[in-house]
Amino acid sequence: MTVEASSLAPNGFRRLASRGLILALVLFLSVAPFLLVIAVSLGQKIEGGAWDWGLTFENYQRFFVGGDWPESWSPLHLQQLWYSLFYAIAASLLAVVTAFPFTWAMTQLSRRTQALWLIFFLTSLSLSEVFVAMGWDVLLSNRSGLPMLLREGGITQWLKEVGWFQTFRDWGLANPRDLRFKPTSFATILTMTYLVWPYAVILLYPALSRVDRSMLEAAATMGAKPTAVMLSIVLPLVRLSLIGTTLLLFVFLLGAYVVVAVFAEPAKQTLSIAIYETIHGLTLNAPFGAAQAILLLVAATLLLIIGTRLSRARRVGEG
Amino acid sequence: MADLRLDKIGKTYGVYTAVEDLNLTFEAGKLTALLGPSGCGKTTLLRMIAGLEVPTHGRLFLGDEEITDLKAEVRNFGMVFQSFALFPHMSVAENIAYSLRIAGRSRRDCEARAAELLRLVQLEGLGGRRIGALSGGQRQRVAIARALAQEPRIFLLDEPMSALDAQLRGDMQMELRRLQQRLGITTIVVTHDQKEAMTMADRIVVMSRGRVEQVGSPQDIYHRPANAFVAAFIGTANLLPGLLHQDQIQVGADRFQVSPEMRISDRSEVTLFCRPEALNLYREAPPSNGLAAEVTFLRDLGPSIEVHLTSAQGDITVEVSGRTDLDLQLGDRLYVEFPREAIRVLPRDAEEKAA
Repeated sequence: MTVEASSLAPNGFRRLASRGLILALVLFLSVAPFLLVIAVSLGQKIEGGAWDWGLTFENYQRFFVGGDWPESWSPLHLQQLWYSLFYAIAASLLAVVTAFPFTWAMTQLSRRTQALWLIFFLTSLSLSEVFVAMGWDVLLSNRSGLPMLLREGGITQWLKEVGWFQTFRDWGLANPRDLRFKPTSFATILTMTYLVWPYAVILLYPALSRVDRSMLEAAATMGAKPTAVMLSIVLPLVRLSLIGTTLLLFVFLLGAYVVVAVFAEPAKQTLSIAIYETIHGLTLNAPFGAAQAILLLVAATLLLIIGTRLSRARRVGEG
Repeated sequence: MADLRLDKIGKTYGVYTAVEDLNLTFEAGKLTALLGPSGCGKTTLLRMIAGLEVPTHGRLFLGDEEITDLKAEVRNFGMVFQSFALFPHMSVAENIAYSLRIAGRSRRDCEARAAELLRLVQLEGLGGRRIGALSGGQRQRVAIARALAQEPRIFLLDEPMSALDAQLRGDMQMELRRLQQRLGITTIVVTHDQKEAMTMADRIVVMSRGRVEQVGSPQDIYHRPANAFVAAFIGTANLLPGLLHQDQIQVGADRFQVSPEMRISDRSEVTLFCRPEALNLYREAPPSNGLAAEVTFLRDLGPSIEVHLTSAQGDITVEVSGRTDLDLQLGDRLYVEFPREAIRVLPRDAEEKAA
């Protein structure tokens, strides 16, 4: 078959032009700012002033050993990175683990009811992080929230009588007299979980609703009880979706700011808070902030690679 | 082995009746086909037998054991699903040995049984394949092997051929039948294809609108249909409405001699039924039971020719041998003879009269 060159040329040109445009947009909107951040991270802070371009790895060194090195070693920044990862991993796992049974139950409902639930969750996404944090702030506040209700309802007294109050104290969820949820890692992770829960449902829904019901029935006719069906059929079938959803929520939560600012203990703040403080706070140290940002990105990338490896792990006969 | 007995089994969804109080016995070791148009309740009935659907009322017995409330997972009935429902995340052998694995049998047992069943369905050596790499016919064999792996008490198949192309379907029907006869396993097949039912079944249960219309051998159902629905659903039928008058049926202005029918009272409305291959075509009017008709369509099938005619009493289909010396042409005016012994008189029930 021959194609006339004249008919091909304008088409080919147009395709080339549109590709060029996309490339330019990617370069301008994504690659250039990223390169800029890398460049800034190699710069130097001028004492008492702004900062200057440079070519030093001091900022990166400072991240790992602290500003006073070699006089003293401070793990402060590493600690912040650890809390960033810890909160994000814990909350994304918790969200997926709790959203999974809910979404599974949801897919058993009628089409119409499923649609209503989905609309409800999509709508709830319009609540911003600030709004959610404010809501939980009130709910968990010591004076007027859950601790107050538990105290006035006699539950706190009862916990003391049966001796479980001490357990709460050991977990850092109580002061000597009352339950206290704020500021704690518990409240941070709880609110983060709440924040991404609708995403978890929406992301898990397609895979779960595609699971062929007749496969579950086939398993039942072969003697599999519901738990066995869940473990041997449903979970393996939606494994990729579970891992993918967890990774996505994890990345999303790495950048959480308001929730951490409101609920985390001062000693357990995350890198995203620290970056803001470095750049806009008292020190106005943009180069160090840029280095922090890049190291957070590197850590996240490493974890994503591990996660992806995990999802590609051996599975016989996957098709 | 024991017979499977349904005692007034019924299923309703709100006001809709899917299956209406059925009494049926499925004989041990025999293959029974549940045949009917879509929506007749045959699949619902099969699912109730499998334990996947709870009957609204009635009881199920396997021999003397009541199994009505037994869950599917303890019933030990093997089932082949319409979509095959193979597990895509497992290999062929893992699929087949699934019931054994769930029962906690050793890996070696599982492998041995899978190999044995692969041999049975002629898929030796394919145990390591992924499900995605199989053809439609191979998938069906795997589904059959998987359902048989647990040595089920009853073998159920829901429209097992519907996902296969026509060529393969015929072969698989015969193969499945041979397999069933070799194993001697009590089998129930749901189908809407009368040829499939006739190819495989010892006994056919014809269903429509949640009710059983007729139960019988393929020959019974074909030659002695109980009513016009069965006659029309199985093969091609010529059905003419008429009035029974002793040993004659009056159809419009034509009269047909019939063998006296004891079951039907005189002077009642009946349907005259005759299979196309039982009719004869003549250029000249036969002495009796002839009907003048004009050829409207000829379908030459090779071994036979299907002649479609129109008459004063309605459309007629006649099947004549391909070696006929009648030189048939469109528009030919012929006489269709309804031989007296080939005519069956079917009662017309109230619903048909109303329609």
